[in-house]
Amino acid sequence: MSTTILNLKDLTIKFGGVTALNSVNLELKEGEILALIGPNGAGKTTVFNLITGVYKPTSGNVFLGEVAIDGKKRHQITKLGIARTFQNIRLFGDMTTLENVITASDVRNKVGLVGSMFGTPRSRREEKASVAKAHEILKFIGIDEYADRLAKNLPYGVQRRLEIARALGTEPKILLLDEPAAGFNPQEKVELAATIKKIRDAGYTILLIEHDMSLIMGISDRVAVLDFGQKIADDLPSVVQNDPQVIAAYLGVPADAS
Amino acid sequence: MFDTLIHQFWSLTFSGLALGFIYVLIAMGYTMVYGVLRMINFANSEIFTVGAFATMIVSKYVFDFSTEMIPPSNLKLVFVILCCLAASMLASGFLAFLVELVAYRHLRNRTSNRIAPLISAIGIGIVISEIVRILTRARTQFSPNIIPKKVLFTFQGGEIRLDNTVTILAGLVLFIILERFIKLSRLGKGIRAVSMDEDSAKLMGVNLNRVISLTFILGGLMTGAAGFFYVNVYENVKYNMGFSLGLAAFTAAVIGGIGNIRGAFFGGISLGLVEIYASAIVGTQWKPVTVFIILILILLFKPNGIFGEAIQKTRV
Amino acid sequence: MINLRDKGAEFWERSNRPVRVLTVLVTLGVIACLPYAGNTFLQTPIAAFDAVLVYPMGIFILMALGLNVVVGKSGLLDLGYVAFFAVGAYTMALLSTHTHMNTWEIMPFGIAAAMIAGLLLAIPTLRLRGDYLAIVTLGFGEIVRVSALNSESIGGALGIAGIPFPPGLGFEYQLLDQKAFYWTVLFMILIVIWIFRRLSVRRPGRAWESIRQDEDAAELMGVSTYKYKIWAFVFGASIGGAAGVFYASRSMVIAPDNFTLNTSILILACVVFGGMGNIWGVIVGAAILGYLPDRFRFLSDARLLLFGLVLVIFMNLRPEGILPRKKREKAIVKKGLGV
Repeated sequence: MSTTILNLKDLTIKFGGVTALNSVNLELKEGEILALIGPNGAGKTTVFNLITGVYKPTSGNVFLGEVAIDGKKRHQITKLGIARTFQNIRLFGDMTTLENVITASDVRNKVGLVGSMFGTPRSRREEKASVAKAHEILKFIGIDEYADRLAKNLPYGVQRRLEIARALGTEPKILLLDEPAAGFNPQEKVELAATIKKIRDAGYTILLIEHDMSLIMGISDRVAVLDFGQKIADDLPSVVQNDPQVIAAYLGVPADAS
Repeated sequence: MFDTLIHQFWSLTFSGLALGFIYVLIAMGYTMVYGVLRMINFANSEIFTVGAFATMIVSKYVFDFSTEMIPPSNLKLVFVILCCLAASMLASGFLAFLVELVAYRHLRNRTSNRIAPLISAIGIGIVISEIVRILTRARTQFSPNIIPKKVLFTFQGGEIRLDNTVTILAGLVLFIILERFIKLSRLGKGIRAVSMDEDSAKLMGVNLNRVISLTFILGGLMTGAAGFFYVNVYENVKYNMGFSLGLAAFTAAVIGGIGNIRGAFFGGISLGLVEIYASAIVGTQWKPVTVFIILILILLFKPNGIFGEAIQKTRV
Repeated sequence: MINLRDKGAEFWERSNRPVRVLTVLVTLGVIACLPYAGNTFLQTPIAAFDAVLVYPMGIFILMALGLNVVVGKSGLLDLGYVAFFAVGAYTMALLSTHTHMNTWEIMPFGIAAAMIAGLLLAIPTLRLRGDYLAIVTLGFGEIVRVSALNSESIGGALGIAGIPFPPGLGFEYQLLDQKAFYWTVLFMILIVIWIFRRLSVRRPGRAWESIRQDEDAAELMGVSTYKYKIWAFVFGASIGGAAGVFYASRSMVIAPDNFTLNTSILILACVVFGGMGNIWGVIVGAAILGYLPDRFRFLSDARLLLFGLVLVIFMNLRPEGILPRKKREKAIVKKGLGV
C-alpha cells in the first residue's frame, strides 16, 4: 500500500455567496496518476489553486505529508515540491525555451543577488549546472531542439509541452497538470499520454485535470469526479466509468468533445 | 485655532459640500473606469482641466463675460450657464473617448504588458497639460463670474451662497442620474456586467469595446461638469489644476472603495468636508502632501476602502 | 531597413576575442573624446557642449540605467524615482557642508541612504498592484520634495549651497572645462553597465524578467517575487543615489526645485524611448533625449511636452524602443533550424 503524499481534508472554499468547493476529501498516493474530472465549473482548477496557495480555504486543510500547506506562500509551496501547469498557457513569452526552464530551476539554487553580482565560483557552478539540467529536461520532454527559440514564437503543441518541462524544472515531487491536452489532435494526445506515463515512471506523482475520457482511462490509476464543488466518485477508472451518478453528471459528453 | 471652524461652521460646511460634489464628479471618472478595466485612468486630471478651460473660454470669449460686468438677465444667465456646462461636459467627454481609444484600447489588445496603457495615459496627460501651459504661458487665467455669488440666506451665522448651492444641487442631480442610468439602462447593465465578470459578460453578448468606451465617456461627462462647477466657485484656471484635484478625487474614490460608485460619493463628500474644515484649522501649505499620505495609508491598511472590493485579487 | 542592433550583434558574434577587445577600446576611445567635439555641428547653443555631456546626458543615462531595472526589466511602474536622486544629492550637500568628508568618501553614504529610502518605500508598497504602485511612488517623490521644501534645517526653498567639487586625483575638477566630470560619469556608467550585465544573465535577471512577464506564474514557479521586487527597487535606488551625490558635487548648489516630478517623468521617457529592459537602447535613448533639448532651442521650453509625446508614441507604436532586439530569432534561423 503506497503512502499518501497529498491529502485534502474537508476542503471548503466560498467566494462571497458561492460555495465553490464543499468539504472535499481527496488523497493522492505516491507514484500514482490521479485524474480529476467533472463538468465545467465543478471546481477542478479551484482545487489546483488551493493546493498551490493561490487561494486560502475557508475551512479544511491541504496536507503535504504531515505538514499543512494551506496558508503558506506560493513560492514556498513550490519549494516544498509541488509544481503546476496552467489551463491557459502562461509561459514567459519573451524568454527562450531554455530560459523558461532555468528560471523554474532557480528555486533549487542557493545563490542570490549578491553572489550573482560578484560572480562567485558557486554562482558560476550553479549556472552551468542549471543550463545542463534544463537541457536534460527539455530532451526528456522531447523539445530540446527549440531550446533557443522565444517561447512566444513556439508552435502550440511545443508550448504546451514547455509548460510541463518548466514545471519539472522546479524538481517537484508532485506535478499538477491542468488540461495538458487542450487543443491537441488525437495523435498528439497519444504522444502526450506516453509522456505523462514516462514522467510518472521517472518517479513523479501526477494529479491531472482533463476532459478527454480515453486519455484519462488510458493512463490514470484512479479517477476522482467533482460536480458542483463536491466529490461524487473516487475509484478505479473502470468503476467510475460505470457509476450512474457520474454518468448522470458528466459522462453524457463523448470523448474528445473539444 | 478652532475659532474659525466654530464661528463659520455652516458656511464652511456648504463650501465643503460644494467641493465634495466636485470631487464626487471627478471621482466618477476614476471609479467607473477602474470598475470595467481594473486600471487607473491617469489622464482624468487633464480631462478635468480641459473641461474647466472650456467653461472659461465659452463664458469669456463666446458670451463676452468679463470679470467686472453687470450680470445679464435671469433667462440669458440660465442659457449661458447651460451652454458652459454643455461645453465642458462635451469637451471632457470627447477627450475621455480619445484617451480610451489611444491609450487604453490600442494597448489593451496589443500587449499583455499591464503598465503600457498607464504609461501611455500619463504621456497623454502630460502632452495636454504642457500644451495648455505653453498656450497660457503658465499663467493663471481668471474666469469671469458666471453663477453669481449671491448670498441666499444666513443660517446660524454662516452665509449660504448661490454658487455653492447650485453646485451641490446640480452635483446631486447629476450623480443620481448617473447612478440610475447604470442601474436601469441596458448599457448601464452592460457596464455592471463587465465590471463583475468580463468573460461572462462577453459570452452574454456584451460588446466589450462599446461598454468600455461608454464608461470613459460617462466618466468624462461627469468630470467635465466638475470643471464647470469648479470654475464657477473658484474663478480661476491653470494648466496644472488637474493634478491636485485629480489626486484628491482619486483618493476619494479609493476611500469609498474603488469601482464602487456609491462609495465614491461617500468618499468625495467626506474628503471635501474634511479638507475645508482642516484648512480652517491648520492652514493649507501641507495640503497636497496630506492627501497623498491619506491615500498611501488607506492603500496600505484598508485597500478595499469602506465599501469596495479587494484590489489585490490575483487572476489565475 | 537596417536593424542596427542586429548588425552589431552579428558583428560581435562573428568576431574573435582580439577583435572584440579592439572594438570596445575604439568605441570607448571615441566616446571619451566627445568633449573635444564641442565646436562641430554637435554644438549646443545654450550651455557648453562638455557641460551638456555631463548633465543632462551623463546623469540621465545613469538614472535611466537605474530606473531601467525597476520599470524596464521588472515591470514595476515607479513614478517617484527622483526621490532617490534627491536623497543622494542632499546627503552629499549636508555631509560636505557639515563635515570634512569629500565626494568620494560621501559616495557610499549617499548610496546607502538612497538604498534605505528604497527599502522603506518598497517594503510596504510592493504588495500593491501596478497602477497603485505608480500612484504611491509618485506620492513618495512629492512627499520627499515638499518635505525638503518645508524643512528649514536643510535649507528650505533655498536649498544648500557651497557644495565642493570632488577632489582631483592628479587633475582638477573645473567649472569651465567639464572633461574631468565627464570622464568620471562615464566611468560610473561603465561600472553600472558591468554590474547590470552580470545580474542580467544570471538568476536576478531571470527573476526580474519573469516578474515583469507574469508575476503570478513566476511565483508559482518558485520565484521569490516579493524579495526580487525589493531588490529591483533597492538596486535602482542605489544608482539614483550615486547619481545624486555626483550631481550635487558638480552643481555646488541644490534646492528642492531640482527634484520635481518632471524629472521622474523625463527618466521614464528615456527608458520607454530606449525600449524597456533594453540596456543599450536605454543608454542611446537617454543620450538623445538629454541632448536634443539643449541642441535645439525650440525644444528647450517644450522639453516636457517632447518627453510626453515620446511616452505616448513609443508606448503605442514602438514599445520595443529605438534599438529593438530581433537577434534571437534571427540567430536561430541562421543556424538553419527552420522550424
